[in-house]
Amino acid sequence: MSFLRLPLMIAVILGACWINYHHIPHHETDSPFMTLYMHLNAEKLLKDPHAHHGEGHGAEGHGSDHGGGAHDAHGAEEGEHADEHGAGEHDQDGQQGGHDDHSGHDSDGHGSDHGGFAALPDDAGHADGHESPYLFSMTVPGVALPASLSFMDMDAETEGMQLVMTNLQLFQIASVLLVLIAFMGVPGYIRTGRGGDVVTRYFAGFAMWIRDEMVVPAMGKELGNKLLPFFLSLFFFILFINLMGLVPGSATATANIFVTAALALITLLSMIFGGMFAQGPIAFWKNLVPHVPLALWPLMFIVEVIGLFVKPFALMIRLFANMTGGHLVVLSFMGLIFFFAQKFGTGAGYGVTPVAVGFAVFIMIIEVFVAMLQAYIFTQLSILFINASVHPEH
Amino acid sequence: MLNPEPLLQEAASNLVPFGKLGAAVGAGLVAIGAGMGIGKIGAAANEGIARQPEAAGDIRGGSIILAALIEGVSLFGMVVCILIAL
Repeated sequence: MSFLRLPLMIAVILGACWINYHHIPHHETDSPFMTLYMHLNAEKLLKDPHAHHGEGHGAEGHGSDHGGGAHDAHGAEEGEHADEHGAGEHDQDGQQGGHDDHSGHDSDGHGSDHGGFAALPDDAGHADGHESPYLFSMTVPGVALPASLSFMDMDAETEGMQLVMTNLQLFQIASVLLVLIAFMGVPGYIRTGRGGDVVTRYFAGFAMWIRDEMVVPAMGKELGNKLLPFFLSLFFFILFINLMGLVPGSATATANIFVTAALALITLLSMIFGGMFAQGPIAFWKNLVPHVPLALWPLMFIVEVIGLFVKPFALMIRLFANMTGGHLVVLSFMGLIFFFAQKFGTGAGYGVTPVAVGFAVFIMIIEVFVAMLQAYIFTQLSILFINASVHPEH
Repeated sequence: MLNPEPLLQEAASNLVPFGKLGAAVGAGLVAIGAGMGIGKIGAAANEGIARQPEAAGDIRGGSIILAALIEGVSLFGMVVCILIAL
């Protein structure tokens, strides 16, 4: 059993990359840079992305970013998809209209406002029922969104509030699976000290390092041991996502600000509620302010409350910008090749390739380091912030 | 009496590329600031390690965290510059 774990981990990574590669829509723009940068966006996983590639399509009708940070397919692509469905153009265009926040991108006469709800099949040519184009989607039970919240509905075509799986969720699930597989034997190995294979020993050492070098020195033994599982989960979740983002054909979930915001929100809530549990609900807010003259107290209280929220906000921006920035640099070097080929002929493209690829490889090596460093920084700063709000300095 | 509105509009439309210039200059300034800050941390950390090699682990950990805090501020600036440029 245990010898299967390393192949299993590799299979999880490759499987996630395979699904991502084969089920996201492909974009084509005029600029080689923009085409590459499209890969940094979150995409909804489609059942058959190649069905959209009928013929050349214009650049109009870009969907806007919304909800989970997902990026729409082109309006023109959707129209072509409808042709292949043979079910009339109504359903796809209705979907596009709902997704575009009613900004009037509908390409045919069906520009009416759906109010954020599903475009019900009210045409005769549509009676055969529509099939969701998305690979995984789920209806949130019992939620009827008002029209003002329609941007939260990820598939306006289907009735009810829909959650559609994007490639970010794919890699988050893969990361959780990796953590589960990697840490299956670790608790037993740490307790008994024997019976571990290579993977177990490796990750047990990692976990012990986090406990002994990061958590316990900052928080002390009692609180540290209580909160250790949270920090271990945080560290390895971010680490696996960051590292998987470097595999070809993958997407980096932490290069999306919504994912890092969710992670930082956990830290923020831990700070507030951990502090309120440890010190008492009133004392926590009172202890935010150090000893200052009474006249300064209200001002300092405002400053400290803002500081409380700015710390997780900085965590969010830091992880997001680091992961996005590295990818942007690599994609810029790659885009340089196609830019030269487009502007100065194919020969120039071939000529600039070794330089561009060399720099891109160099940046990729730095990115491996950054991926681990950012997981470390996020966890270490979470430890310091949570500890500071649980144990205030007096 | 001169109507200033068309003139202002023309001036504004002429100034649009300078918005992008501002983003680029801002990105450069952010890089200068972050470089100075992290350079000072690096210098001090290396001096500290050279004076006291047995404390190398602690000093390195502390300097990484301080560098991350400076990096956070500079990334704020970078994100603002990107938002201007877009």
